[in-house]
Amino acid sequence: MRLAGATICVAMLGAATAHAGETHVVSPRPDEVSVTIYRDLFALITETRTVDLPEGPVTLVFDGVVETLIPQSALIAETQRQVVEGNFDFERLTRASLLRRSIGKKLLLTRTSRATGRARQVAATLLAAGPGGVVFRTADGNEALLCSGIAERLSFDELPADLQRSPRLSIHLAAGTPGIRKVRVSYLAHGFAWKADYLARLDGSHMDLAGWITLRNLTGATFRDAEVQLVAGKLNLLDSEEDRGTSPFGRTEWMSTDEGLDSHRAMQLEEMIGELEREPPDVEHFRGCYPLGIMPASLAGDVIAAEDIARFPDENLAGALQRAAGVEGEELEEIVVTGFRASMAVRENLADYQLYRLPVRTHLNARQTKQMAFLQKPAVKIERFYSLRLAWDEEMPEPVGNLVPASIRIGWRNTGADGLGEPLPAGTVRFFERDQGRELFTGDARLADNPIDGRAELTIGRAVDLGVTMDGDPGEPRFGLMTLLTRRAYLPLRLRVVNAKPQPVVFEIRQGMLEELEDLRVIDASQPPQRKAGDYMWRIEVPANGEALLAYKVGGRIPDWDDE
Amino acid sequence: MARWHVVCLGERVIFRDNKSFGGGAMPKFSWSLAVLCSAGACAADGEDKQLSLTIYNKNLALVEHIRPVSLTAGLQRLEFAGVSAQILPETVSFLGSNLELVEQNFDYDLLTPAKLMEKAVGGTVRLVRTNPATGAETSETAEVLSTTGGTVMRIGSRIEVLREDNLPTRVVFDKVPENLRARPTLSVLINSDQASQQDVRLTYLTRGIAWDADYVAVFDEPKGMLSMQGWITLQNRSGTTFANARARLVAGDLNVSDSEDTWRQVRQASAQRSAGRESSARPQLADYYVYPIAQATTLANNQTKQVSFLEAPAVRASKGYEVSFNSFDSGDEPVSAQVRIRFSNSGTAGLGEPLPAGVTRVYARDSRGAPQFVGEDLLGHTSAGSDIALRIGDAFDVTVLPTVNQTTRVNKRTTEYQVSYLVRNARAEPITLTLRQDELWRVNEVRAESLKGRRTDADSFAWEIPVPANGETTLTFTLRQGW
Repeated sequence: MRLAGATICVAMLGAATAHAGETHVVSPRPDEVSVTIYRDLFALITETRTVDLPEGPVTLVFDGVVETLIPQSALIAETQRQVVEGNFDFERLTRASLLRRSIGKKLLLTRTSRATGRARQVAATLLAAGPGGVVFRTADGNEALLCSGIAERLSFDELPADLQRSPRLSIHLAAGTPGIRKVRVSYLAHGFAWKADYLARLDGSHMDLAGWITLRNLTGATFRDAEVQLVAGKLNLLDSEEDRGTSPFGRTEWMSTDEGLDSHRAMQLEEMIGELEREPPDVEHFRGCYPLGIMPASLAGDVIAAEDIARFPDENLAGALQRAAGVEGEELEEIVVTGFRASMAVRENLADYQLYRLPVRTHLNARQTKQMAFLQKPAVKIERFYSLRLAWDEEMPEPVGNLVPASIRIGWRNTGADGLGEPLPAGTVRFFERDQGRELFTGDARLADNPIDGRAELTIGRAVDLGVTMDGDPGEPRFGLMTLLTRRAYLPLRLRVVNAKPQPVVFEIRQGMLEELEDLRVIDASQPPQRKAGDYMWRIEVPANGEALLAYKVGGRIPDWDDE
Repeated sequence: MARWHVVCLGERVIFRDNKSFGGGAMPKFSWSLAVLCSAGACAADGEDKQLSLTIYNKNLALVEHIRPVSLTAGLQRLEFAGVSAQILPETVSFLGSNLELVEQNFDYDLLTPAKLMEKAVGGTVRLVRTNPATGAETSETAEVLSTTGGTVMRIGSRIEVLREDNLPTRVVFDKVPENLRARPTLSVLINSDQASQQDVRLTYLTRGIAWDADYVAVFDEPKGMLSMQGWITLQNRSGTTFANARARLVAGDLNVSDSEDTWRQVRQASAQRSAGRESSARPQLADYYVYPIAQATTLANNQTKQVSFLEAPAVRASKGYEVSFNSFDSGDEPVSAQVRIRFSNSGTAGLGEPLPAGVTRVYARDSRGAPQFVGEDLLGHTSAGSDIALRIGDAFDVTVLPTVNQTTRVNKRTTEYQVSYLVRNARAEPITLTLRQDELWRVNEVRAESLKGRRTDADSFAWEIPVPANGETTLTFTLRQGW
């Protein structure tokens, strides 16, 4: 029966977290686990564990939770008991923590003669252990470890009670009906990430759009047969240090643009990856000595020699020590799961976000990167056009001879009728075109969250054979008869769109705000304008290897800055 | 009280009780040991008879140890091991009867090999050399002369540098100097009128212990219900474990910029909380809430402990969409609406509790009924009956595209703005969005509007915009503002 292996009842030990007279029920591992990864470098872990609860008050210990757990996020359900107290205290088992916790304890010191190979063992009491070194006492007197040049090693009878092999969460429950329960515990943990990437193959007025999810587990935890979900959405998050919130990169409220949010996330991710490659700062070596007449380098060497690790009663402990000593380097594992239509991530609404569910349970290993398809839309209707915007904050065309190249724009409306109709989480879109039978990369752009019915317009580059020049110098705003009274003036503009392409194109010209004139209006246009995002806008057909002209006047008021 | 031990500094012998002794019999046993070695430099040091913690919001706690000691008449030193490593020594107060405090020291001079050798300068150590060929040991006595750059020793008539030959040499120290310790220790020098056995009281402030309130809320949107659980999260980063402590938490913002001021303030309050007047102690803490923790609790070093203090399984709540603009700008890309969970902590709504400040994490259920995290917000100290609107995130499917169609100068100080807000709802149900135009200038007036709005305060207006499922609504208005 599964239960027998899953729960162990132990009597109360002298552990620091214990409540007098309470029973401990230890759940060594979850039966099932689900991981929901957010774009903000954390995940929600939900574990289902089977436990046998006695009638009285009980301390429920969940062993093997993720080390980066945020304790205050924990949610415990289905115990049918009142939760009195929760504790999360994890001190990683390292050489240093083992020594620190053994201060005052009796140890066995083994000295091996390098000449004869004979080992002598003496009882020792550990007096002090810290970054400055280790001091112990034997019947002889007080001595420092690793200072004599003799092969010395310490052996420990047992692990200190509060030094754990794996992080654990313990919960005190009030008394209640006894019995077997499937308890669900959910908590947030740092060190996870995902992002969306798109591949768009352009083909005339259509594109094939494929969406990929890249997810990363930067933690040392491995999840077997896990349900994996991803949440796309902008959550309000507080800073994990300043506010005790969940975001490792600052308060999201203060990142007003998507670009700002993205760059904060990216920087933090870089930092997290960098930390993986560095030695953890909490691994201290406790290798100090008094001043000696020899080079300190020759003192190097671990108190716990490799053969002692092998002799440890528990191989988990040996493994943990090996890892702590950096014997076994853990490397970033890269696994690519190619996506087929049948195994694509499935989308559902979660509150006001999108949730993507990986279709099958999967192993999510420590330090792993996984990729997965989530979208495959052939023949999405697109509009390919060229554009130029005239505004104070853009590059302005100049008189003849100086051609401002047009931006190449790809636009679509996210509807089923146009072949899409799927919410698209923000990500980078990479555009490819077929040219004489070969794929050609033609640029990329960042797509913001694109809901159904929402319009997207992306700039993928600048055209080399299409641009705008200005006919004549518009110069300063012209004054009219009443200008002195009204301060009203106008600026006549004549724009010439030059197309060197062998096919006709659609060209969009936008007139935005200018520095010279306020309360701007377009008048006397050679073609009636439309409006777009506050700008005046024209759509012009430019013939193949031809030109098109647009003339209009920008009317407005000369600002009287001195009044303000 | 679990363990007792007596430290005799002269011999540095540690007596430790055996776990099989019952609690009641223990004190006498320990005292007898203490008396045995209480001559000279010996001092008694026991585990706490009672340990109390008063923990404040801002990384500050008041610790009170009550420890039984046995005193001889005259000058003597008492040692308190196991005090916080982050103690603020200037805040220590020591109380006992018929004794006079002469001096107090906080020693955190750690015992390390280097310190051990440094303290041995002028004294003698034993050297045990091992013959590298035979493994035979020879022992001799050496006087330590200097430890700068290397240990210089006099051995008989020779002067040598320790291990200059890199051959195995053990250095054996007969004694460990009494002020070198493995753990932070507070010692007091006292003068007692007479020999006595009494409980002394030691109080001090320490850094490294803090508490915060945290809320976990599961939002059931179809039912319009919020299930709320409040936790007090205690964190101990003080470097010391506090076993079986009676803890209470004070909610409120104490001024802790100047630790001495704070100490004075806190000591006043705790001084008035004298025995037998516990019920009147709470008002002494004036504007702060006090949360006692019922059970004695152990706060281990580096531990995060959570204690449940609030459970409200059914609080009426609703979801709302809000967006606010504090200027008039056109946008190419739409702005996502903020999602807010609105509820009241009034009794009628199912809560009726004041809420100490904390982070509220909100969960919603997915299609399989599993809770998923949907966002968090900061809640200030909130008295009962307040209305709360937690901002949890931005809606993927509800967006607003702002457009300024025309600006017109009315006069030197006044401008008229014709604006439109296109609200799109890609959700399968109709929604209502609250749109606010705020931070307006001193003179402001709505001249025309497509939906009836309302003035919310002197410099803002709000509109409730209904948007059909999978549909859109455009709000247009003309607003004149000036100064």
